[in-house]
Amino acid sequence: MDTFTPETISLLALLAALMPLLSFGGILLVPGERNRGSFFSILNICTSLVLSVIVFIHVWQQSTVHQQIEWFTVGDWKFKAGILLNNLSALMLVLISLVATLVHIYSTKYMEGDPYIFRYWAYLGLFCFSMLGLVIADNLLLIYMFWELVGFSSYLLIGFWFTRDAAVQANKKAFIMNRLGDLGFLTGIMIIFAQFQTLDIALLFKDGGFVSHSLVQNGYWIFSSNQMPQMWLTFAGLAFFFGATAKSAQFPLHTWLPDAMEGPTSVSSLIHAATMVAAGVFLLARITPIFNSTVLTVIAIIGAFTAFMSATIALAQNDIKRILAFSTISQLGFMMLAIGVGAYASAIFHLVTHAFFKCLLFLAAGAVIHEMHHLKEKKALDFDHQDIRTMGGLRKFMPLTFITMVLASLALVGLPFTSGYLSKDAILIQAFEWADTKSIWAKLVPYSALFTSWLTAFYISRLIFKVFFGELKLNKAFTQQFSLHEAPGAMKYVLVTLAIFCLFPIFSSNPFHYEHAWIIEGLPVISGIARVNIFHTIIPITVNLAACFLIFIAYKWYAVAVKAPDFTNTPLFRFAENQWYFDTLYKNLFVDKVVALAKATFRFDKVVIDGIVNLMGDVGVLFAAISHWFDRKIVDGLVNGAGSLSKSIGNFARHFQTGRLQHYLVTMLLVVLTFFIIKYFSLAI
Amino acid sequence: MIPLSHYLIISAALFSIGVYAVLSKRNAIMILVGIEFMLNAAILNFVAFSKHDKFAASGQVFALFAIVLAAAAVAVSLAIILNVYKYYKTIDPTQIDKLRD
Amino acid sequence: MGIEQLVFYVFAVIVLASALLVVANKNLVRSIFLFFITLFSMAGLFVFALADFVAITQIVIYVGGVLVLMIFAFLLSNKHILDNPDNLKTGVIGLHHLPGILVAFLFFIVIVWSVSLAKVEQLEWIQHSGDNTLKPSDNTIHNIGINLMTRYLLPFEVVSVFLMMALIGAAHLARKERKP
Repeated sequence: MDTFTPETISLLALLAALMPLLSFGGILLVPGERNRGSFFSILNICTSLVLSVIVFIHVWQQSTVHQQIEWFTVGDWKFKAGILLNNLSALMLVLISLVATLVHIYSTKYMEGDPYIFRYWAYLGLFCFSMLGLVIADNLLLIYMFWELVGFSSYLLIGFWFTRDAAVQANKKAFIMNRLGDLGFLTGIMIIFAQFQTLDIALLFKDGGFVSHSLVQNGYWIFSSNQMPQMWLTFAGLAFFFGATAKSAQFPLHTWLPDAMEGPTSVSSLIHAATMVAAGVFLLARITPIFNSTVLTVIAIIGAFTAFMSATIALAQNDIKRILAFSTISQLGFMMLAIGVGAYASAIFHLVTHAFFKCLLFLAAGAVIHEMHHLKEKKALDFDHQDIRTMGGLRKFMPLTFITMVLASLALVGLPFTSGYLSKDAILIQAFEWADTKSIWAKLVPYSALFTSWLTAFYISRLIFKVFFGELKLNKAFTQQFSLHEAPGAMKYVLVTLAIFCLFPIFSSNPFHYEHAWIIEGLPVISGIARVNIFHTIIPITVNLAACFLIFIAYKWYAVAVKAPDFTNTPLFRFAENQWYFDTLYKNLFVDKVVALAKATFRFDKVVIDGIVNLMGDVGVLFAAISHWFDRKIVDGLVNGAGSLSKSIGNFARHFQTGRLQHYLVTMLLVVLTFFIIKYFSLAI
Repeated sequence: MIPLSHYLIISAALFSIGVYAVLSKRNAIMILVGIEFMLNAAILNFVAFSKHDKFAASGQVFALFAIVLAAAAVAVSLAIILNVYKYYKTIDPTQIDKLRD
Repeated sequence: MGIEQLVFYVFAVIVLASALLVVANKNLVRSIFLFFITLFSMAGLFVFALADFVAITQIVIYVGGVLVLMIFAFLLSNKHILDNPDNLKTGVIGLHHLPGILVAFLFFIVIVWSVSLAKVEQLEWIQHSGDNTLKPSDNTIHNIGINLMTRYLLPFEVVSVFLMMALIGAAHLARKERKP
């Protein structure tokens, strides 16, 4: 349409990003009641959604929109800032604004009654603005800025209930680990700038862009007139990946995500499931051409390892949100794995489907927690309302929540007819394809991914069966009959909407073949996705059969009141329960050392620096005392001395004025004689 | 005859004695006596020189005037001394020091 | 050295000795009487300078007027005038006499020296005085009388006025205060 010129479209995209910022500024800067802001924020985010949809319609599978303005000049080098809208950005825009809108609506009921809710709406607005800005930014520096902003909003929201010590510790941990990753990101930016003299994504990473024109020859990475040793290319790729590790909670910077569950559940669902953690994957997808095969291998290995590790940890957790957090880490590992094997389209596809079903999982868990918390307050009991060991049989009380959560879990496991099946299959199959082209050790990667998906099936079914089936464990613990009620209206509708997105029709007309998913068709594919191998039919069947088997076992153990085998004392269980002792390791390796260093510098500052400053002060005081003495004794002494000298001269001279005639006469005569002698006898004398 | 310088030396001695009397006597009348000595010394000087001045006899005439004036001076001085005594109850010049600092 | 010079020196010695005794004496009355002798001897010296009228005038006025006046003044007034504070001091030459002695001595030295430097006998007008020099046989009274009325008339009249002033002044100063 002619009215939608590229300038208009980019303007719409910019507006879509700015609307939530309006809610941030408007709520914080305009004073009012403490529970203000809900209508305003929802209005803004809905506007964002509408604008994003419009932009999506005009950008998907059409020409890229790229608008730029001049930003600043350094020397004679001009830096431009702008908006880049291609398939990826438009897709992300819609995803983010849709999930954000749903979470906003959910939060009206979930956060009801919180005394400072206006901060919540404001921070949520800030987060949405930064996330939307991140996906439409057109150069690496702008992405970095929004990256930081996203991390900062996450900090604010994790520590929303800042009066709790656990929340404060958690948000500090999240922010610091994110900053560590940002070092990597920044290093990558610097290397790219040194080599290419530009940070513009379109120039660098498009087909036929600078990066594709750069070559590696004789151990040097060459681009037009610049060259640097080849290891810098690998290093840049690894640096970017390090940044993404922090944001997407991969090994080794994954420990902040479980602790981030201290924030409100709606925040966890939006940020730590659907959007922010996906920013890492998004970045890697944006800059795919920079990665050489070494880096890709590293990404794949780390992704696979993280997925496996967090799945094992999730098996041993008892807090609903923690299980879901480790599940998120695991699924992000899958996405990283996909990028590592070169299946970028599958990674993004999985990101989108994961956003929906993980968000739904969190929101449904939030509903459960909300109801358990109400029960706790109403009856004034003392138990951990997030512990699944206190729940059970909730499907009687909360049927809608139960159904939606089951749908989301099925999507997570990846059973057919769900959206998750399509994306997960894409990743697994492409992983096997990739391993075919590599050495025998490469097979480890896809097989571990396979194993991880079975673990996924087990832990999520454990969660579902423990929470919704059986008897309410609270009844036994307190020997009373409790009852809960269903989630309130706003929460229900959001859960239902998200549940719809967990099914396959939104994404593909064919429930079994992922190649037809429209997302895959819209995103760049490196290697062919056509099913080459017999694997492509065997793998999905194997995975799903094994998953069903595992679900059945979980049912037997947890749903039916058969005594489940008690693993709690085996070393493996304890290893998993303590998150593979990573927190302890980091604490001993880094945290304690840094704290000791801080204490040492504090002492140094106090003793030495303050000592020096106080010494200066004392020296000044000493000088003051000296000059005081000097002034008093010498200067005053001089002045007083002059006075007393005149006085004594006067006293002396006074003695000549005796008033006695004869004395005067003597003096007079002596003077006359002297005069006479001098005048007349000077020659003679 | 007697050389002129002898007269002058005698008059010098007398004058010095008069100076001494003026400067260190504790009685006002003695101071007056000292003044008289000095005057007498001067008169002797006049007279000594007038030996060589027969026609004008200026030295002798002046000597006469000096004697007369000395007498007047003594008269007035004694009157003053009497007045001073009335006020100070003493004629010791060391006691009369009201004009001191 | 003729008899004339000898007598002259005797008179000189008497003058100086009595003058010294005048100042050395602690007793006021004795000093004044010794002053009396000094004045007489001065008259003798005047005679040797061939100024006989001056000598007589000296005796008449000085001795008979001034001295007698002094004696009357303290004899006819309060007795305390006679108290000489010098009596309390010990020694003829005390420390408080020192400046007086010093100045007197210096004066003597200076005058004698200037006299010797001036070489008064070699003065022009003295050497060429010849006719102007007095001889013992000259009549000085005659000379003085004529000079007094002609050459020195003005000083003469002034002195008489001055004497009158002195008379009035002294009489006024010494009057007795009328008690109210």
